[in-house]
Amino acid sequence: MQGSTEAARDLFQAHGTAIYRFAAVLVRHREDAEDVVQETFMKLLRHLEAGGDTTNLRGWLFTVAAHAARDRQRRRSRWIPWAPVHDAAVPPPVLDDEDGRIRSARAALRRLPDRDRLLLALRAQGLSYREIASAAAIQPASVGRLLARAADRWAAAASRNPASEQERKSDATGPRRSGARERA
Amino acid sequence: MNCLNDERLQALADGEGRDDDRAHAASCAACGARLRARTALMTSIETSLNPPVDLPASFRLKADGATRLRALPDTRRRWIYTAAAVAASLVAVLFVLPIVRTSDTTVSASEILAKSVTQLSAVRRGIEVMEYELVLGGVPKEMVPDQVDGTYRVWQAIDHDVPGRFRFASFTADGQAISSIAEDPIGKRRVAAFRSEGQAYRFDVTLPSGPRNLSLPEIEQLHMEASIAIMQASGNQLLETIDGPNGKLYRIEVPRLASPGSNPVWDLTEARVLIDSRDYSVVEFAVQGSFLKSPYSLSYKQIRHVVGASLPADAFTVPPQPGEIVVTGEGTAVPTHDIVVLALRALAQAKRAQ
Repeated sequence: MQGSTEAARDLFQAHGTAIYRFAAVLVRHREDAEDVVQETFMKLLRHLEAGGDTTNLRGWLFTVAAHAARDRQRRRSRWIPWAPVHDAAVPPPVLDDEDGRIRSARAALRRLPDRDRLLLALRAQGLSYREIASAAAIQPASVGRLLARAADRWAAAASRNPASEQERKSDATGPRRSGARERA
Repeated sequence: MNCLNDERLQALADGEGRDDDRAHAASCAACGARLRARTALMTSIETSLNPPVDLPASFRLKADGATRLRALPDTRRRWIYTAAAVAASLVAVLFVLPIVRTSDTTVSASEILAKSVTQLSAVRRGIEVMEYELVLGGVPKEMVPDQVDGTYRVWQAIDHDVPGRFRFASFTADGQAISSIAEDPIGKRRVAAFRSEGQAYRFDVTLPSGPRNLSLPEIEQLHMEASIAIMQASGNQLLETIDGPNGKLYRIEVPRLASPGSNPVWDLTEARVLIDSRDYSVVEFAVQGSFLKSPYSLSYKQIRHVVGASLPADAFTVPPQPGEIVVTGEGTAVPTHDIVVLALRALAQAKRAQ
């Protein structure tokens, strides 16, 4: 079990930031991205303790992180959209984004289908086709074709509309959150 | 060899292509140009989707701390009594951030809401002055009797030392006066002033004897209290803390509290509240729901709130308006009813005079 903890710690140091960046562009809230990291490495620890497969742990980590990010987005999407006038009154907390790159990335991703978002986000973290296939639950032979289409749609969306005013407004910074969040 | 299709070109750009495809791209000008363009596109995408954000420092510090502990022999012996202890320590050390993150806000959403309701209903002394923005949509007149849909800026003063004494003034978003109403239970008078089609009116009535009804600010406060109490009863709250201009704020949302129309009298379908962590006062409040099966929404945003304010003597008096038509009479417990009845009576008198 000590080996598991050491391995988990090493993997956290090696991939924690990459998992966080991966989650940061897929989810909207910073605390959700942090929760994705936490959940991913907690599951890694249990996976290692249970003697799980260790042949492709990097791909395994991104698979778990992708599922965790998707679950959080689904949970958020179940909420009824609030009236615009109320949104103006209480803007949601956003990720720290000093140079606006997260906002731009999320705005671009929002214009793509879910699978395209996931594939491009995985590729952006340098995952191989085999790892991407595992994380996205698709055939390895399909990764290149699907990535090509996703990249074309990204390019088309980017040339059509760099980032709509509405998207900029929806991501406009409001009161900055202090980092605390609880599920009551 | 045929030119490369998009899939094979993509694989080359991603460093996964076959050697013969790469050789073709090197020898074919068209495929070479497409490969360069595809590689540039993927580089652009990867740069966009790999933002330069790092894990919060506390995450990393905790991990570093784990390394340091293990480097000390004595400490190491203490931490490796059992494998379970090691695992537990890793969990505690590596993933302590979320626990630490919430340790300064250990109250639950329900507790915060309960404290807020307590704060709202607390007995106060002296004069309380509030300014706030009010956005109404479909709000029934049983809730806010003298307002129609729209955005208002409201000023209100309540004298807690004299139950029922208040003045309430509403303005358009750009500051134009809309209406003002004041009640004085000691002088037994209620004055309501407003403009309609450019004409100013002033209804000055005596208050009925007997127990007084709820005042307009009391009705609004009760609505807020009841809404927050329903939020508290919900098991589906989402609580966050955010930094406001004057300190930490609790932001609590409750999605879909009841199925639309499940309660024929009053349903809340969605609610959100922003509470000041210093005193649990409500800074912002917004609900959507239905009252008597009619959908409505209400949003409140506090601008200023002073308890124990010092006001000039005429602060509870509705100021006269130039050219106003003054209607006097005996009032009832329902201000809107008084205005209609007294206006009709004045109209009848004018007709008889003609």
